[in-house]
Amino acid sequence: MPLLTAFNRQCQTTPDTIAFIDGDRQLSYRQAGQLACRLGACLMHGQVPRPRVIIALERGIDAAIAILAALNAGACYIPLDLKNPPNRLNYIIADADAQTIIGKGRRPDWLEAPVPWLDIGHPPLAENAGPPAITADDAPAAILYTSGSTGMPKGVVLSHRAMRNFADWAAVTFKISTTDTIASLAPFHFDLSVFDLFSSLSVGATVNFVPSNLTLSPSRLTAWLAQHRISIFYTVPSLLSFIALKGNLPTPPLPHLKTVLFAGEVFPARQLQTLCGLLPATNFYNLYGPTETNVCCYWPVERERLQSGHPIPIGHPACGAILQIDGTTGELIVHSANNLSGYWQQGKLRPALTTDNGYRTGDKVSLNGQGEYCYHGRLDRMLKCSGHRVEPAEIETVILQHPEVLSCAVVGITDSTSGQRPAAAIVLKPDATLEQIVKPVKQQLPAYMHPCKFIALGSMPCLANGKTDYGALQQLLENS
Amino acid sequence: MKKKLRDFIFQELVFVTDPKRFGDDDDLLEAGLDSMGIMRLIMFIENEHGVTLPDTEIEPDNVRSLNALEHWILRHKKE
Repeated sequence: MPLLTAFNRQCQTTPDTIAFIDGDRQLSYRQAGQLACRLGACLMHGQVPRPRVIIALERGIDAAIAILAALNAGACYIPLDLKNPPNRLNYIIADADAQTIIGKGRRPDWLEAPVPWLDIGHPPLAENAGPPAITADDAPAAILYTSGSTGMPKGVVLSHRAMRNFADWAAVTFKISTTDTIASLAPFHFDLSVFDLFSSLSVGATVNFVPSNLTLSPSRLTAWLAQHRISIFYTVPSLLSFIALKGNLPTPPLPHLKTVLFAGEVFPARQLQTLCGLLPATNFYNLYGPTETNVCCYWPVERERLQSGHPIPIGHPACGAILQIDGTTGELIVHSANNLSGYWQQGKLRPALTTDNGYRTGDKVSLNGQGEYCYHGRLDRMLKCSGHRVEPAEIETVILQHPEVLSCAVVGITDSTSGQRPAAAIVLKPDATLEQIVKPVKQQLPAYMHPCKFIALGSMPCLANGKTDYGALQQLLENS
Repeated sequence: MKKKLRDFIFQELVFVTDPKRFGDDDDLLEAGLDSMGIMRLIMFIENEHGVTLPDTEIEPDNVRSLNALEHWILRHKKE
């Protein structure tokens, strides 16, 4: 059954319920369904050879309609992070090999690839909008680009089956119904948005897009949550910590907010405890899983067990996943209907699963005395920076492109609020200076990948086997 | 006061190659100060200066530059 079947049914059964609110603009399910069909019909013509549509729109109603249109046309959607520098966007666009880019206004100057540009403000007049395309369960529904360990971004391909499995599980587990209003803050290239869009729309709930400037002002954000009677909010721990610290919660605190879900990074127990104290009537859930598996483990927060300095568990299997721990390394292996179909690279689907369809997460886990899974960090070099996944190799690739650089290494240093931040050690050619490197490197990387420190070294510290000594580098960068 | 703010911001929150050339009115948000950085900065200011910065005043215009930050802190120091 295609991912949008449940949404299209809601358009028939609850046509007058509000589907989307975006500032002053709102759409009922009927209106959203009609717009998505009409725009979808503009896409069908060129659909057959490359059933992929790039979404070059900021989070909001237009982007949501573009996504629904792509899916109705039988294509998968590829959301761009428009805050990425042009070189990274152009790489992803070329790699995706899509039929169309849906954006707003005229075609931007930075766009290199000759992909047709469709202005959502002025879509071409479509012929009759037919019924939604019949899509196979294993056809791709979305490709979410993430940082790649080979130094280039890579696309995680999620099938209709995988996304529906997660959306349905979440709708049932968190008891979402047509009376709920969900705050949508995660950008669409983040997997948190799969919940915001598809769990909500499948049961006839309302999606209200949080104005993006509110994240800099926690008290205005909480006032907004109160004013719009938000009942469910799925976001990252760092933002929730900011609310705990400076949210200026009204009394009674957010009476409509029944459920808060968080994922993407570790939530320190002390901050979570503060937040739980401020919101006594809200249920909290820790959701865990890389983009490749979406949520595979979850823990309904037990307030009485929160203890400062004791990491919270990631909990029990979710979405029908079967979890397995590698006996030698402690690595978590996930068998789930949510699992990715593979990685999209250079116009092709490349396998990513083990022979029995498991996904090796690269995360080290263990079981505690209560039979809950606990997370112990990465087995490889991947970093988590304010909920963003960052592969040091991608930053190194950009730094190494500069002719003044002989070698470089990027490691994560600890940061009390962002979790980790990348820091770079660079060996320069004689006479070269860091100033020549820093600015161009920053222009080529999204802000969350910017190293928070750069140091110049005479040579890279090495282990006895000649490999870079990342441990020594980390100490050096933490203390510099 | 500005020196301590400068040191904290450029050592901990925002990387610029030459902090000395970063003007007191230059835009910190453009230079990369994000919501998590603002949170750490507020915790630092409250500890360092013994002031409480009201939740309702945490907004871009009060944290945009070193001068804006100083004005904001001074307003609350007097109270």
